[in-house]
Amino acid sequence: MTVVAGRTYPAVKFEIEPERVAVFARAIGVDPDDGVPPTFAAVYSLGVTVPHLFGDEEAAVDFSRLLHAEQEFEWTRHPRVGETVVSRGRVASDISRRGMRFVSFETDTTDAEGGPLCRSRALFVIRS
Amino acid sequence: MPVARPICDSFMTERRVTFTREQIAAYAEASGDQNPIHLDDDFAKTVGLPGVIAHGMLQMGILATVAAEEAGGPSRLRRISVRFAAMVVPGDTVTFIASRGAGERLELTAVNQKGEAVLTKSSADIA
Repeated sequence: MTVVAGRTYPAVKFEIEPERVAVFARAIGVDPDDGVPPTFAAVYSLGVTVPHLFGDEEAAVDFSRLLHAEQEFEWTRHPRVGETVVSRGRVASDISRRGMRFVSFETDTTDAEGGPLCRSRALFVIRS
Repeated sequence: MPVARPICDSFMTERRVTFTREQIAAYAEASGDQNPIHLDDDFAKTVGLPGVIAHGMLQMGILATVAAEEAGGPSRLRRISVRFAAMVVPGDTVTFIASRGAGERLELTAVNQKGEAVLTKSSADIA
């Protein structure tokens, strides 16, 4: 296992399609006509970038021992249905302590013009 | 001298949800998180769980809708954070509450039918 603090991953483009928004809205019990639910960021921000971390062989994150411990989303602006957004993930910190590894994974999502939309901060704990 | 607070204040939004397998499966489909610990009892047991568990992000999604309602609409939500503290399994009933804190801060709680907090350290900022 390599300590991967500071590692950045490629940008991912994602179109916020109305059908996906509607399915997501219904799954959390809100009206699909109310626009993009804030936590759809689980898809357009965290969801599209975290596979980079999990697929990074050097990072060696053991998915079967992984616990999603904390999550934060912070918005400058909420995206609109139909918008294309761009997300970039990075490892903000990677610390091992008492047999536990703490990986803080951050994602910045912008609109097509590069204007800020959302920052996701996920804390993963991996038991060794 | 403590500041008087109204006993029954209106600065609070509450939603009670009994989780079902169907809802967890619907969230798996909607979010793309198809980890079998949310879908397959037998698999979940092989990794030491009692059976399928709800996604933490589904709990957060519901909590965010309660926060958004208290804020006056989803576009007013500027930040939300949670710590996933306890498992939620099908049949659990969780009460999600957003209440006004100081300034533009909402205090958020999610407590199951046994009185255990399933989300802790949770708050939101509103515009």
